[in-house]
Amino acid sequence: MIRYEIGIVETRNVIKTILDTYGYDFRDYALTSLKRRLENVIINNGFKDADGLIARLTSSKDYFEVFLNEIIPETTEMFRDPSLWRTLRDELLPDIMKSSSKPKLWVAAFDSGEELYSLAIILKEAGVLSDVQLYASTISDKTIDKIKNGRIDAKELEVNDANYLRLNGKSKFSEYYKIDNGQTILDTSLIHGVNFIKQNTLYDNAPGGIKLILFRNQMIYYNQIQQDKVLNQLTNSVVPGGYLILGVKETLENTNTSNKFTVFNDLEKIYKKKTT
Amino acid sequence: MYKAVIIGGSAGSFQVITRILHSLPPTFPLPVLLSLHRLKHIRSGFVEALSIKAGIPIVEPFDKEQIKPGRAYLAPANYHMYIELGNKIALSTEEPVNHSRPSIDLSFMTAAQVYRDKLIGIILSGANRDGAYGLKKIKDLGGIAIVQDPAECQVKTMTEASLKLTKVDHVLSTQEIIKFLQNIKTTAP
Repeated sequence: MIRYEIGIVETRNVIKTILDTYGYDFRDYALTSLKRRLENVIINNGFKDADGLIARLTSSKDYFEVFLNEIIPETTEMFRDPSLWRTLRDELLPDIMKSSSKPKLWVAAFDSGEELYSLAIILKEAGVLSDVQLYASTISDKTIDKIKNGRIDAKELEVNDANYLRLNGKSKFSEYYKIDNGQTILDTSLIHGVNFIKQNTLYDNAPGGIKLILFRNQMIYYNQIQQDKVLNQLTNSVVPGGYLILGVKETLENTNTSNKFTVFNDLEKIYKKKTT
Repeated sequence: MYKAVIIGGSAGSFQVITRILHSLPPTFPLPVLLSLHRLKHIRSGFVEALSIKAGIPIVEPFDKEQIKPGRAYLAPANYHMYIELGNKIALSTEEPVNHSRPSIDLSFMTAAQVYRDKLIGIILSGANRDGAYGLKKIKDLGGIAIVQDPAECQVKTMTEASLKLTKVDHVLSTQEIIKFLQNIKTTAP
Protein backbone atom coordinates (compact mmCIF):
# COMPACT_ATOMS: atom_id res chain seq x y z
CA MET A 1 0.00 0.00 0.00
CA ILE A 2 2.86 2.39 0.73
CA ARG A 3 4.14 3.62 -2.61
CA TYR A 4 7.68 4.86 -3.09
CA GLU A 5 7.78 8.66 -3.29
CA ILE A 6 10.62 10.63 -4.78
CA GLY A 7 11.59 13.96 -3.19
CA ILE A 8 12.30 17.20 -5.01
CA VAL A 9 16.06 17.08 -4.32
CA GLU A 10 16.27 13.48 -5.60
CA THR A 11 14.25 14.48 -8.68
CA ARG A 12 16.72 17.26 -9.40
CA ASN A 13 19.60 14.79 -8.99
CA VAL A 14 18.10 12.46 -11.59
CA ILE A 15 17.51 15.37 -13.98
CA LYS A 16 21.10 16.56 -13.54
CA THR A 17 22.48 13.08 -14.13
CA ILE A 18 20.59 12.77 -17.41
CA LEU A 19 21.61 16.24 -18.55
CA ASP A 20 25.29 15.74 -17.65
CA THR A 21 25.54 12.21 -19.05
CA TYR A 22 23.33 12.31 -22.14
CA GLY A 23 22.47 15.97 -22.80
CA TYR A 24 18.70 15.46 -22.54
CA ASP A 25 17.15 18.35 -20.65
CA PHE A 26 14.21 17.61 -18.36
CA ARG A 27 14.70 20.68 -16.17
CA ASP A 28 11.63 22.44 -17.52
CA TYR A 29 9.23 19.54 -17.38
CA ALA A 30 6.19 19.95 -15.11
CA LEU A 31 7.33 18.69 -11.75
CA THR A 32 4.34 16.74 -10.44
CA SER A 33 3.87 14.51 -13.46
CA LEU A 34 7.62 14.03 -13.97
CA LYS A 35 7.99 12.93 -10.35
CA ARG A 36 5.18 10.47 -10.75
CA ARG A 37 6.72 8.92 -13.86
CA LEU A 38 10.14 8.74 -12.20
CA GLU A 39 8.48 6.89 -9.33
CA ASN A 40 6.86 4.50 -11.83
CA VAL A 41 10.23 3.83 -13.48
CA ILE A 42 11.89 3.23 -10.11
CA ILE A 43 9.11 0.90 -8.93
CA ASN A 44 8.66 -1.00 -12.22
CA ASN A 45 12.39 -1.62 -12.65
CA GLY A 46 12.89 -2.71 -9.07
CA PHE A 47 15.27 0.07 -8.07
CA LYS A 48 15.43 0.80 -4.36
CA ASP A 49 15.27 4.55 -4.78
CA ALA A 50 16.41 7.47 -6.95
CA ASP A 51 20.08 6.64 -6.29
CA GLY A 52 19.49 3.17 -7.69
CA LEU A 53 18.07 4.70 -10.85
CA ILE A 54 20.97 7.18 -11.10
CA ALA A 55 23.54 4.39 -10.75
CA ARG A 56 21.89 2.45 -13.59
CA LEU A 57 21.55 5.51 -15.80
CA THR A 58 25.23 6.39 -15.48
CA SER A 59 26.44 2.84 -16.07
CA SER A 60 24.35 1.82 -19.09
CA LYS A 61 23.56 3.74 -22.25
CA ASP A 62 21.29 0.88 -23.31
CA TYR A 63 19.30 1.33 -20.15
CA PHE A 64 18.95 5.03 -20.92
CA GLU A 65 17.00 4.12 -24.09
CA VAL A 66 14.68 1.97 -21.97
CA PHE A 67 14.33 4.85 -19.53
CA LEU A 68 13.42 7.32 -22.29
CA ASN A 69 10.77 4.95 -23.58
CA GLU A 70 9.26 4.72 -20.09
CA ILE A 71 9.57 8.33 -18.95
CA ILE A 72 7.45 9.69 -21.80
CA PRO A 73 3.74 9.21 -21.04
CA GLU A 74 1.89 6.80 -23.30
CA THR A 75 -0.96 8.11 -25.40
CA THR A 76 -3.16 5.28 -24.03
CA GLU A 77 -5.88 5.32 -26.67
CA MET A 78 -6.48 5.50 -30.41
CA PHE A 79 -8.62 8.35 -31.76
CA ARG A 80 -8.70 10.18 -28.44
CA ASP A 81 -11.33 12.93 -28.89
CA PRO A 82 -13.12 11.49 -31.95
CA SER A 83 -14.60 14.91 -32.73
CA LEU A 84 -11.07 16.21 -33.40
CA TRP A 85 -10.40 13.40 -35.87
CA ARG A 86 -13.71 14.04 -37.61
CA THR A 87 -12.82 17.72 -37.96
CA LEU A 88 -9.37 16.83 -39.22
CA ARG A 89 -10.81 14.48 -41.82
CA ASP A 90 -13.75 16.63 -42.95
CA GLU A 91 -12.36 20.17 -42.75
CA LEU A 92 -8.58 20.19 -42.56
CA LEU A 93 -7.71 17.41 -44.97
CA PRO A 94 -9.50 18.84 -48.03
CA ASP A 95 -7.64 22.12 -47.49
CA ILE A 96 -4.31 20.40 -46.91
CA MET A 97 -4.59 18.18 -49.98
CA LYS A 98 -5.53 20.91 -52.43
CA SER A 99 -2.60 23.18 -51.76
CA SER A 100 0.56 21.19 -52.25
CA SER A 101 1.77 18.23 -54.29
CA LYS A 102 2.94 16.06 -51.41
CA PRO A 103 2.03 17.79 -48.17
CA LYS A 104 4.07 17.03 -45.08
CA LEU A 105 2.23 16.05 -41.91
CA TRP A 106 4.08 15.71 -38.61
CA VAL A 107 3.10 13.86 -35.45
CA ALA A 108 5.40 15.91 -33.25
CA ALA A 109 4.07 14.62 -29.96
CA PHE A 110 6.32 12.02 -28.35
CA ASP A 111 3.74 9.44 -29.21
CA SER A 112 3.59 5.80 -28.22
CA GLY A 113 2.08 5.08 -31.64
CA GLU A 114 -1.61 5.80 -31.17
CA GLU A 115 -1.61 9.29 -32.68
CA LEU A 116 0.43 8.19 -35.67
CA TYR A 117 -1.68 5.10 -36.43
CA SER A 118 -4.90 7.08 -35.90
CA LEU A 119 -3.74 9.70 -38.41
CA ALA A 120 -2.64 7.02 -40.87
CA ILE A 121 -6.06 5.32 -40.70
CA ILE A 122 -7.82 8.64 -41.29
CA LEU A 123 -5.58 9.28 -44.32
CA LYS A 124 -6.04 5.78 -45.67
CA GLU A 125 -9.83 5.99 -45.46
CA ALA A 126 -9.66 9.35 -47.23
CA GLY A 127 -7.63 7.66 -49.95
CA VAL A 128 -4.63 9.97 -49.55
CA LEU A 129 -2.21 7.98 -47.38
CA SER A 130 0.30 7.65 -50.20
CA ASP A 131 -0.14 11.26 -51.28
CA VAL A 132 1.37 12.73 -48.12
CA GLN A 133 4.73 12.56 -46.36
CA LEU A 134 4.35 11.61 -42.70
CA TYR A 135 6.88 12.48 -40.04
CA ALA A 136 6.85 11.11 -36.50
CA SER A 137 8.96 12.28 -33.59
CA THR A 138 10.16 9.89 -30.98
CA ILE A 139 12.63 10.28 -28.18
CA SER A 140 13.75 6.66 -27.89
CA ASP A 141 14.88 3.97 -30.35
CA LYS A 142 12.86 1.53 -28.23
CA THR A 143 9.70 3.48 -29.01
CA ILE A 144 10.48 3.56 -32.73
CA ASP A 145 10.87 -0.23 -32.73
CA LYS A 146 7.61 -0.68 -30.88
CA ILE A 147 5.71 1.55 -33.29
CA LYS A 148 7.30 -0.02 -36.38
CA ASN A 149 6.24 -3.45 -35.15
CA GLY A 150 2.69 -2.25 -34.58
CA ARG A 151 2.94 -3.18 -30.94
CA ILE A 152 1.01 -0.50 -29.18
CA ASP A 153 -0.15 -1.30 -25.67
CA ALA A 154 -3.79 -1.51 -26.56
CA LYS A 155 -4.94 -2.20 -23.05
CA GLU A 156 -8.36 -0.84 -23.72
CA LEU A 157 -9.43 -2.21 -27.07
CA GLU A 158 -13.08 -1.46 -26.37
CA VAL A 159 -12.18 2.22 -25.87
CA ASN A 160 -10.44 2.26 -29.25
CA ASP A 161 -13.39 0.52 -30.88
CA ALA A 162 -15.84 2.97 -29.33
CA ASN A 163 -13.75 5.95 -30.40
CA TYR A 164 -13.61 4.61 -33.95
CA LEU A 165 -17.40 4.26 -34.00
CA ARG A 166 -17.81 7.87 -32.86
CA LEU A 167 -15.57 8.89 -35.71
CA ASN A 168 -18.01 7.42 -38.25
CA GLY A 169 -15.14 5.64 -39.95
CA LYS A 170 -15.56 3.80 -43.23
CA SER A 171 -14.71 0.38 -41.93
CA LYS A 172 -14.32 -1.33 -38.56
CA PHE A 173 -11.40 -0.69 -36.24
CA SER A 174 -10.82 -4.43 -36.04
CA GLU A 175 -9.82 -4.31 -39.73
CA TYR A 176 -6.63 -2.57 -38.67
CA TYR A 177 -5.19 -4.96 -36.11
CA LYS A 178 -4.77 -8.63 -35.34
CA ILE A 179 -4.33 -10.29 -32.01
CA ASP A 180 -1.31 -12.50 -31.63
CA ASN A 181 -0.74 -14.28 -28.32
CA GLY A 182 -2.90 -11.76 -26.54
CA GLN A 183 -0.93 -8.88 -28.01
CA THR A 184 -2.63 -6.39 -30.28
CA ILE A 185 -0.62 -5.80 -33.43
CA LEU A 186 -1.60 -2.97 -35.71
CA ASP A 187 -1.35 -3.17 -39.47
CA THR A 188 2.18 -1.88 -40.03
CA SER A 189 1.56 -1.22 -43.73
CA LEU A 190 -0.24 1.90 -42.50
CA ILE A 191 3.06 3.48 -41.46
CA HIS A 192 5.19 2.14 -44.26
CA GLY A 193 6.26 5.54 -45.58
CA VAL A 194 6.69 7.30 -42.26
CA ASN A 195 9.86 9.25 -41.66
CA PHE A 196 10.83 8.75 -38.00
CA ILE A 197 12.83 11.55 -36.43
CA LYS A 198 14.67 10.88 -33.24
CA GLN A 199 14.45 14.01 -31.19
CA ASN A 200 15.71 15.32 -27.90
CA THR A 201 13.57 17.19 -25.41
CA LEU A 202 14.11 20.54 -27.15
CA TYR A 203 13.11 19.54 -30.70
CA ASP A 204 16.45 20.72 -32.10
CA ASN A 205 16.17 18.98 -35.49
CA ALA A 206 12.65 19.87 -36.55
CA PRO A 207 11.65 19.29 -40.18
CA GLY A 208 10.44 22.26 -42.26
CA GLY A 209 7.59 23.01 -44.67
CA ILE A 210 4.95 21.25 -42.58
CA LYS A 211 1.23 21.60 -43.33
CA LEU A 212 -0.08 19.96 -40.17
CA ILE A 213 1.46 19.33 -36.75
CA LEU A 214 -0.24 17.09 -34.21
CA PHE A 215 1.04 18.07 -30.79
CA ARG A 216 -1.73 17.05 -28.44
CA ASN A 217 -1.29 16.63 -24.71
CA GLN A 218 2.43 17.33 -24.69
CA MET A 219 2.54 20.88 -23.36
CA ILE A 220 0.85 19.63 -20.19
CA TYR A 221 4.12 17.88 -19.33
CA TYR A 222 6.14 21.10 -19.62
CA ASN A 223 6.43 24.27 -17.60
CA GLN A 224 5.97 27.59 -19.37
CA ILE A 225 9.66 28.01 -20.23
CA GLN A 226 9.77 24.70 -22.06
CA GLN A 227 6.38 25.34 -23.66
CA ASP A 228 7.70 28.54 -25.23
CA LYS A 229 10.95 26.93 -26.41
CA VAL A 230 9.25 23.97 -28.06
CA LEU A 231 6.42 26.02 -29.56
CA ASN A 232 9.00 28.30 -31.17
CA GLN A 233 10.60 25.30 -32.86
CA LEU A 234 7.26 23.96 -34.05
CA THR A 235 6.08 27.35 -35.29
CA ASN A 236 9.15 27.66 -37.50
CA SER A 237 8.30 24.30 -39.04
CA VAL A 238 4.73 25.15 -40.07
CA VAL A 239 4.13 26.82 -43.41
CA PRO A 240 1.83 29.87 -43.46
CA GLY A 241 -1.75 28.60 -43.62
CA GLY A 242 -0.66 25.32 -42.01
CA TYR A 243 -2.23 23.86 -38.86
CA LEU A 244 -1.09 23.19 -35.31
CA ILE A 245 -3.29 21.00 -33.12
CA LEU A 246 -2.96 20.96 -29.32
CA GLY A 247 -4.80 18.95 -26.67
CA VAL A 248 -8.29 20.16 -25.77
CA LYS A 249 -7.08 21.53 -22.43
CA GLU A 250 -3.97 23.18 -23.82
CA THR A 251 -3.89 26.65 -25.32
CA LEU A 252 -1.56 29.02 -27.16
CA GLU A 253 -2.90 31.88 -25.03
CA ASN A 254 -0.21 33.14 -22.69
CA THR A 255 2.55 31.68 -24.84
CA ASN A 256 4.93 33.74 -26.94
CA THR A 257 3.68 32.16 -30.18
CA SER A 258 0.01 33.11 -29.81
CA ASN A 259 0.36 36.05 -32.23
CA LYS A 260 1.64 33.74 -34.99
CA PHE A 261 -1.63 31.81 -35.22
CA THR A 262 -5.36 32.35 -35.51
CA VAL A 263 -7.83 30.08 -33.76
CA PHE A 264 -9.35 27.78 -36.39
CA ASN A 265 -11.43 25.65 -34.01
CA ASP A 266 -11.47 26.59 -30.34
CA LEU A 267 -13.16 23.43 -29.01
CA GLU A 268 -10.62 21.13 -30.64
CA LYS A 269 -7.73 23.57 -30.18
CA ILE A 270 -6.83 23.74 -33.87
CA TYR A 271 -4.67 26.74 -34.79
CA LYS A 272 -3.85 28.05 -38.25
CA LYS A 273 -0.60 29.86 -38.92
CA LYS A 274 -1.00 33.42 -40.17
CA THR A 275 0.23 34.17 -43.65
CA THR A 276 2.10 37.34 -42.71
CA MET B 1 -5.86 28.95 8.17
CA TYR B 2 -7.01 26.70 5.29
CA LYS B 3 -5.97 27.14 1.67
CA ALA B 4 -8.19 24.73 -0.26
CA VAL B 5 -11.00 22.19 -0.16
CA ILE B 6 -10.79 19.08 -2.32
CA ILE B 7 -13.76 16.80 -2.92
CA GLY B 8 -13.76 13.33 -4.46
CA GLY B 9 -16.87 11.52 -5.58
CA SER B 10 -18.19 8.88 -7.91
CA ALA B 11 -21.48 7.03 -8.30
CA GLY B 12 -24.19 8.69 -6.22
CA SER B 13 -22.25 11.87 -5.54
CA PHE B 14 -23.77 14.21 -8.12
CA GLN B 15 -26.69 15.38 -5.98
CA VAL B 16 -24.46 15.77 -2.95
CA ILE B 17 -21.98 17.90 -4.90
CA THR B 18 -24.82 19.96 -6.31
CA ARG B 19 -26.17 20.66 -2.83
CA ILE B 20 -22.73 21.57 -1.49
CA LEU B 21 -21.96 23.93 -4.38
CA HIS B 22 -25.43 25.48 -4.06
CA SER B 23 -24.76 26.29 -0.41
CA LEU B 24 -21.47 28.10 -0.92
CA PRO B 25 -21.61 31.90 -0.92
CA PRO B 26 -19.89 33.88 -3.69
CA THR B 27 -17.54 35.08 -0.95
CA PHE B 28 -16.39 31.55 -0.11
CA PRO B 29 -12.76 32.12 0.88
CA LEU B 30 -11.15 28.98 -0.59
CA PRO B 31 -10.79 27.25 -3.94
CA VAL B 32 -12.84 24.04 -4.26
CA LEU B 33 -11.15 21.26 -6.24
CA LEU B 34 -13.49 18.63 -7.63
CA SER B 35 -12.14 15.24 -8.69
CA LEU B 36 -15.18 13.31 -9.79
CA HIS B 37 -15.49 10.17 -11.86
CA ARG B 38 -17.26 10.91 -15.12
CA LEU B 39 -17.79 9.55 -18.61
CA LYS B 40 -14.48 9.89 -20.36
CA HIS B 41 -15.78 10.59 -23.85
CA ILE B 42 -18.30 13.27 -22.87
CA ARG B 43 -16.39 16.51 -22.69
CA SER B 44 -19.19 19.01 -22.29
CA GLY B 45 -22.32 19.27 -20.20
CA PHE B 46 -21.06 18.29 -16.75
CA VAL B 47 -19.72 21.65 -15.69
CA GLU B 48 -22.86 23.28 -17.05
CA ALA B 49 -25.08 20.90 -15.06
CA LEU B 50 -23.15 21.57 -11.87
CA SER B 51 -23.19 25.31 -12.48
CA ILE B 52 -26.96 25.70 -12.66
CA LYS B 53 -27.45 26.07 -8.92
CA ALA B 54 -23.90 26.70 -7.74
CA GLY B 55 -23.09 29.67 -5.54
CA ILE B 56 -19.57 30.00 -6.93
CA PRO B 57 -18.24 29.84 -10.51
CA ILE B 58 -17.16 26.39 -11.71
CA VAL B 59 -14.54 25.91 -14.40
CA GLU B 60 -12.91 22.98 -16.12
CA PRO B 61 -9.40 24.35 -15.90
CA PHE B 62 -6.85 24.58 -18.64
CA ASP B 63 -3.43 23.14 -17.94
CA LYS B 64 -1.32 25.37 -15.62
CA GLU B 65 -4.32 27.52 -14.74
CA GLN B 66 -3.78 29.57 -11.60
CA ILE B 67 -6.00 28.47 -8.70
CA LYS B 68 -8.08 31.24 -7.16
CA PRO B 69 -10.29 31.34 -4.08
CA GLY B 70 -14.07 31.38 -4.45
CA ARG B 71 -13.99 29.16 -7.53
CA ALA B 72 -14.53 25.47 -8.13
CA TYR B 73 -12.22 23.52 -10.45
CA LEU B 74 -13.67 20.39 -12.01
CA ALA B 75 -11.24 17.77 -13.31
CA PRO B 76 -11.83 17.58 -17.11
CA ALA B 77 -12.99 14.37 -18.75
CA ASN B 78 -10.20 11.87 -19.51
CA TYR B 79 -7.45 13.83 -17.71
CA HIS B 80 -5.88 13.48 -14.30
CA MET B 81 -5.94 16.74 -12.37
CA TYR B 82 -2.86 17.44 -10.27
CA ILE B 83 -2.14 20.37 -8.00
CA GLU B 84 1.27 21.81 -8.84
CA LEU B 85 3.61 23.90 -6.70
CA GLY B 86 2.85 27.58 -7.27
CA ASN B 87 -0.86 26.92 -6.70
CA LYS B 88 -1.56 25.81 -10.27
CA ILE B 89 -3.57 23.06 -11.90
CA ALA B 90 -1.57 20.55 -13.93
CA LEU B 91 -3.37 18.10 -16.21
CA SER B 92 -2.11 14.73 -17.32
CA THR B 93 -3.04 11.96 -19.74
CA GLU B 94 -0.94 9.42 -17.88
CA GLU B 95 -2.53 6.04 -17.61
CA PRO B 96 -5.68 5.56 -15.53
CA VAL B 97 -5.22 4.54 -11.89
CA ASN B 98 -7.70 1.96 -10.59
CA HIS B 99 -9.42 2.31 -13.99
CA SER B 100 -10.02 5.97 -13.25
CA ARG B 101 -8.96 9.10 -15.08
CA PRO B 102 -9.39 11.49 -13.34
CA SER B 103 -8.03 9.57 -10.38
CA ILE B 104 -9.22 10.93 -7.05
CA ASP B 105 -6.14 9.47 -5.35
CA LEU B 106 -3.79 11.44 -7.60
CA SER B 107 -5.69 14.71 -7.17
CA PHE B 108 -5.77 14.27 -3.38
CA MET B 109 -2.11 13.20 -3.07
CA THR B 110 -0.78 16.08 -5.12
CA ALA B 111 -3.04 18.58 -3.33
CA ALA B 112 -1.80 17.23 0.01
CA GLN B 113 1.80 17.76 -1.05
CA VAL B 114 1.13 21.39 -1.98
CA TYR B 115 -1.28 22.47 0.79
CA ARG B 116 -0.18 20.06 3.55
CA ASP B 117 -1.97 20.94 6.84
CA LYS B 118 -3.98 23.68 5.16
CA LEU B 119 -6.15 21.32 3.13
CA ILE B 120 -9.61 19.89 3.74
CA GLY B 121 -10.31 16.61 1.91
CA ILE B 122 -13.82 15.21 1.53
CA ILE B 123 -14.77 11.79 0.15
CA LEU B 124 -18.36 11.29 -0.99
CA SER B 125 -20.50 8.43 -2.28
CA GLY B 126 -18.85 6.14 -4.83
CA ALA B 127 -18.59 2.62 -6.14
CA ASN B 128 -14.88 1.87 -5.96
CA ARG B 129 -11.92 2.41 -3.66
CA ASP B 130 -10.43 5.42 -5.42
CA GLY B 131 -9.75 8.29 -3.02
CA ALA B 132 -9.02 6.22 0.08
CA TYR B 133 -5.26 6.43 -0.34
CA GLY B 134 -5.39 10.11 -1.24
CA LEU B 135 -7.45 10.95 1.82
CA LYS B 136 -4.93 9.10 3.97
CA LYS B 137 -2.18 11.21 2.43
CA ILE B 138 -4.05 14.39 3.35
CA LYS B 139 -4.45 13.18 6.93
CA ASP B 140 -0.80 12.06 7.15
CA LEU B 141 0.39 15.51 6.07
CA GLY B 142 -1.73 17.25 8.68
CA GLY B 143 -4.85 18.16 6.71
CA ILE B 144 -8.48 17.56 7.69
CA ALA B 145 -10.06 14.32 6.46
CA ILE B 146 -13.83 14.19 6.09
CA VAL B 147 -15.98 11.32 4.83
CA GLN B 148 -19.66 11.46 3.96
CA ASP B 149 -21.64 9.27 6.34
CA PRO B 150 -21.88 5.89 4.54
CA ALA B 151 -25.38 5.47 5.97
CA GLU B 152 -26.41 8.37 3.76
CA CYS B 153 -24.45 7.37 0.62
CA GLN B 154 -26.19 5.90 -2.42
CA VAL B 155 -23.10 3.72 -2.86
CA LYS B 156 -20.97 3.08 0.22
CA THR B 157 -17.85 1.42 -1.23
CA MET B 158 -15.73 4.54 -1.51
CA THR B 159 -16.52 6.03 1.88
CA GLU B 160 -16.12 2.69 3.64
CA ALA B 161 -12.76 2.10 1.96
CA SER B 162 -11.63 5.53 3.16
CA LEU B 163 -12.80 4.89 6.71
CA LYS B 164 -10.99 1.57 6.76
CA LEU B 165 -7.68 3.12 5.76
CA THR B 166 -7.71 6.37 7.71
CA LYS B 167 -8.73 7.61 11.13
CA VAL B 168 -10.67 10.52 9.70
CA ASP B 169 -11.53 13.74 11.50
CA HIS B 170 -15.23 13.77 10.72
CA VAL B 171 -17.96 11.51 9.35
CA LEU B 172 -20.68 13.92 8.27
CA SER B 173 -24.03 14.04 6.53
CA THR B 174 -24.38 16.30 3.49
CA GLN B 175 -26.06 18.92 5.66
CA GLU B 176 -23.21 18.77 8.16
CA ILE B 177 -20.59 19.03 5.40
CA ILE B 178 -22.35 22.16 4.20
CA LYS B 179 -22.37 23.62 7.71
CA PHE B 180 -18.69 22.76 8.14
CA LEU B 181 -17.74 24.55 4.90
CA GLN B 182 -19.91 27.59 5.65
CA ASN B 183 -18.18 28.00 9.01
CA ILE B 184 -14.67 28.02 7.56
CA LYS B 185 -12.71 31.04 8.64
CA THR B 186 -9.44 31.99 7.04
CA THR B 187 -6.87 34.50 8.11
CA ALA B 188 -6.57 35.72 4.57
CA PRO B 189 -7.65 39.33 4.07
